Amino acid sequence: MEALLYIRELSHGPVTRPRLRDITLQIGAGDRLALLGSNGAGKSTLLHILSGALAPAQGDVMLSGRPLHRADPAARMRVGYLPQRIAMYPDLNVRENLRWAAQLRGLRGLALRSAIDRALDEVGLQDLATRLASRLSAGMQQRLGLAQATVHRPDVLLLDEPTASLDPLQTRQIRDLIHTFDQKTAVILATHLLDDVEQLCNRVVVLDGGRKTAEHTVSSDMDLLAHFHPTEEKSA
Amino acid sequence: MIWRTAWHEWRRLTAGLMFWLLLAFGQLIIAWLAFAQLEAFATIAPQLKLSGSSLGVTDLVLIPTLNSLVLILLLSTPLLAMGGFAGEAHSGRLTLWLSAPTSSSEIVAGKIVGLWLTTLPLLFSGILTLALFGLGMQIDWPRFALAVGYLALFCLWLSAIVILLSALPDHPAAALALSYGALLFLWLLDSISDADAPWHWLAFAAHLEPGFRGLLRSQDLVFFIVSGLAASLLGTYLIARRRGEL
Repeated sequence: MEALLYIRELSHGPVTRPRLRDITLQIGAGDRLALLGSNGAGKSTLLHILSGALAPAQGDVMLSGRPLHRADPAARMRVGYLPQRIAMYPDLNVRENLRWAAQLRGLRGLALRSAIDRALDEVGLQDLATRLASRLSAGMQQRLGLAQATVHRPDVLLLDEPTASLDPLQTRQIRDLIHTFDQKTAVILATHLLDDVEQLCNRVVVLDGGRKTAEHTVSSDMDLLAHFHPTEEKSA
Repeated sequence: MIWRTAWHEWRRLTAGLMFWLLLAFGQLIIAWLAFAQLEAFATIAPQLKLSGSSLGVTDLVLIPTLNSLVLILLLSTPLLAMGGFAGEAHSGRLTLWLSAPTSSSEIVAGKIVGLWLTTLPLLFSGILTLALFGLGMQIDWPRFALAVGYLALFCLWLSAIVILLSALPDHPAAALALSYGALLFLWLLDSISDADAPWHWLAFAAHLEPGFRGLLRSQDLVFFIVSGLAASLLGTYLIARRRGEL
């Protein structure tokens, strides 16, 4: 089966201290892939590149066989991205923030309005649509971020530490929300929280120092902690 | 996408307190200055009439107030523009802009047009105050209209310059300092440099002044258009470089 997203020999950063080195990955439709690694492992840089915000120094990213970073805007319309810091305008209300994200992804007219309403419904923010984004709680802001990332029904959804700054209840709510996403959507989640990997993902790629050091299928009896600091494991 | 970005910028800027404070403050200053000029004009008007001078309310009230309006725009626009790219980067929103299926030139052009549209209410609130003098006084309307046209073009040029400068640092305060520094230099260039010096061409005040005197000169229009376009292209280059496209 052809991969939905194909990352081939991707490298980024200065030659002397690259942030990513020779990453090759294939992600199929419906995959739930975790990028696991400590701070500075290259998870966010990889998501940044996959979102189309940054072109890699070397290598290719192909989405359904089309290059993501060349002059092909259509490929980037199929990617949704939730950055680590929610990209919202505090002086605009929830609906306006969502409209901005949807317009950036190419939605117009009636499709735009219906997509906004659907996304608000999906994340449970319909009643708060006219509230200023700055007046939302951290959990609600994360919901807004998820709505921004999914408003255009992407084929690939990139989530950068989606539960990192949330309390346990908000974390559970966000995880429940991620479970409700379309099963055909490929989700790539960068995290250093092992619970996120166990509960949300079926595959895990371990990054260390910008390199892919391991790739596994997540299973209930898997010891994720053993993969968390692979460099230390190897030297021990 | 340029107009959608421009509309979004206009909405974002007018939703904030800063825009309304600048509008109110600018209007207050312009009204105060205009009436102070008018009072002075009323004092000397009989003498002007006796001496047969051709100077009128346009020369002695409107144009000096328009010069003050330029200063207000120079102070206000960087405050609005510091959120342009530097503010987006500082608050983590730039990533979403950069990942959008939109070209860097469209993003930059949209931000410039959006900022320009936001400065126009600041400009036209002052213009309206001055135009109201026409209800009771003899105004040189063609000259006043030409000066307003020059100011509208100046606002577009100013928007391009400060958006370019906001694309350099990642902190809005740094963008603001950079903009004030650069604009102060370009403003002073008119008085500190020789009129024949090649760099005097960069002194924007020297290109505004003929318009205020009622002269429509192609070299002034070329200055605003060419340097504004250059700023847009440089801004596009900076954003494309951030995307790793260059």
